[in-house]
Amino acid sequence: MPGNTARLVLRDVLAWLVVLAFLFPLFWWVLASFKPYTAIFAQPPVYADFEPSVENYEITIAGKSRINLEGGVGGQTGGASSYYSLPSIVDSLIIAIGSTICALSLATLAAYALSRFPMRGKDHLVFFVLAQRMMPPIAVAIPLFFIFRDIGLRDTHLGLIIAHTLINLPLATLLLKSFFDDVPKELDESAMIDGATRFQVFHMIVAPLVKGGLAATGVLCFIFSWTEFLISLQLTTSIRTIPVKITTFVTSTGTEWGLITALGSAALVPSFIFILLVQKHLVRGLTLGSLKD
Amino acid sequence: MKAAETASTTGQQTWLPRFLTADHPFPWMAPMFAVILAFGIYPLAYSVWLSTQARIPGLRDYKFVGVDNWIKAFADDRFIDSLMVTIQYTLVCLVIQVALGMAIALLLDCERRGYGFLRAMMTLPLVIPPAVTGMMFLLMEDGQFGVLSYYLEEIGLVDPANPILADTSMALWGVMIADIWQWTPFMVLIFLAGLRALPKEPFEAAAIDGASWLQTFRHLTLPMLGKVIAVAVLIRTIDLYRIYDYVFAMTAGGPGTATETLSFYAGRVFGVANFPYAATLSLITLIMLNLICFAFIKAFRVRF
Repeated sequence: MPGNTARLVLRDVLAWLVVLAFLFPLFWWVLASFKPYTAIFAQPPVYADFEPSVENYEITIAGKSRINLEGGVGGQTGGASSYYSLPSIVDSLIIAIGSTICALSLATLAAYALSRFPMRGKDHLVFFVLAQRMMPPIAVAIPLFFIFRDIGLRDTHLGLIIAHTLINLPLATLLLKSFFDDVPKELDESAMIDGATRFQVFHMIVAPLVKGGLAATGVLCFIFSWTEFLISLQLTTSIRTIPVKITTFVTSTGTEWGLITALGSAALVPSFIFILLVQKHLVRGLTLGSLKD
Repeated sequence: MKAAETASTTGQQTWLPRFLTADHPFPWMAPMFAVILAFGIYPLAYSVWLSTQARIPGLRDYKFVGVDNWIKAFADDRFIDSLMVTIQYTLVCLVIQVALGMAIALLLDCERRGYGFLRAMMTLPLVIPPAVTGMMFLLMEDGQFGVLSYYLEEIGLVDPANPILADTSMALWGVMIADIWQWTPFMVLIFLAGLRALPKEPFEAAAIDGASWLQTFRHLTLPMLGKVIAVAVLIRTIDLYRIYDYVFAMTAGGPGTATETLSFYAGRVFGVANFPYAATLSLITLIMLNLICFAFIKAFRVRF
């Protein structure tokens, strides 16, 4: 059937075109990070006609001063220290890893209980957890600004770890509950008849069975913390997570597009690796466990 | 050996009140609820308290003013304005993301070679920090050197003298493009999962009966995807309604207040140190969102 083949080819072409169109902004962004200053501002847009350079990465991540670099003319020659972003990457990592560990430990226990124990008003409890997910970040940031100031947690890693843990708890709890729900309850019951305690059942039987789910939940918590912006912006001044740091490159004297795109592209690497690793559980994760893939 | 150990640990625990043993949900849930209470509920109560205060000019102190801030909000044109911007933003983005997401999901729902790769590529925008996405589109929509502006000018859709983000009537669209770009893949991914979970038989029966593609989609696919669409819309609504990052990165609410959303207005009020009013605005946003979601969950029977 030649008509059928033609339709399949047409579909392939269309599918590739749509996906490539979707990836264009990403391509343009990463491309800009390798462009010299003048090529970014070229009109009409430049795709290949430039000397690719890693200067922007050297300034933001290796902390080189622009003056010492060859071809360092054009743009602002501001102090290299203000564009040096390795400390921000470290801050972001500390906060993302810390809050992921906290959220996972708290949520695993709660999710197991929500999945296993008969409880009066469980639906209300689940809705209460869900309601935490609806908190606009600004409504979290404003009171925490004052509370953290009073107890000395403002502008600390621990403060942001707590805030990000709080925001991640609903996702982690509901998602892990759905993974626990997949493990038949009969397994717990038969193990307990054999003399295992509740905690042993959780620790030695059920938890190992949801390892994949735990990993997927951890990845999503990490990505959330890694990409979070508003709360980090309001609760810190000297500690700067990457998204906040990037916006400081927009100054009154001009926008450092080369540096912004370099740091922005570097920040995408861990997220992209992680997201490709957890494709299998992504839908469930994005819907807080309510849809299973 | 193992059994003896188990028996002894069980034996040791009996002196505890039952609600403190591992056989009761309390110890399992307590750590999480302690954190939510200390850093979620207490701050919320703090916000409510703050919203009943007013700063005494010249002093670093507050006085009680009751519901004045709340009344002030509903007489505040700028608040009503930001509410309208938020509603417009949420609805337009939702409609486009659902429609576009469904179209792309149907296109990519195919077992042929390469489609798995395409589906994985579609998930990449989801993990980009929204502040970075905002910058990405700011770079592309710049009036002088933006690649998107350039092509839109070439085909005559945008006037070079009137850059997208500087134009009162177009700026919000400029911001919404970033949101639509980043979150249409969310819809695609969820709809794809829904499509693949559909049973095959009704579609075979429809094919035998000679139903057209459109009929099959309208009377079979769409109704059977109802729950999936409801969940996706609910989760997107939550995020759209509290939008902040794109606005911060792209327009800072401007030109004028054309792109000022609720969260952004609250943030701006907070930035000029009117803390009680900022708390009031953030609480109003929170309450509205909870009401919308609660109504939605009831109406569409979404379960978690």
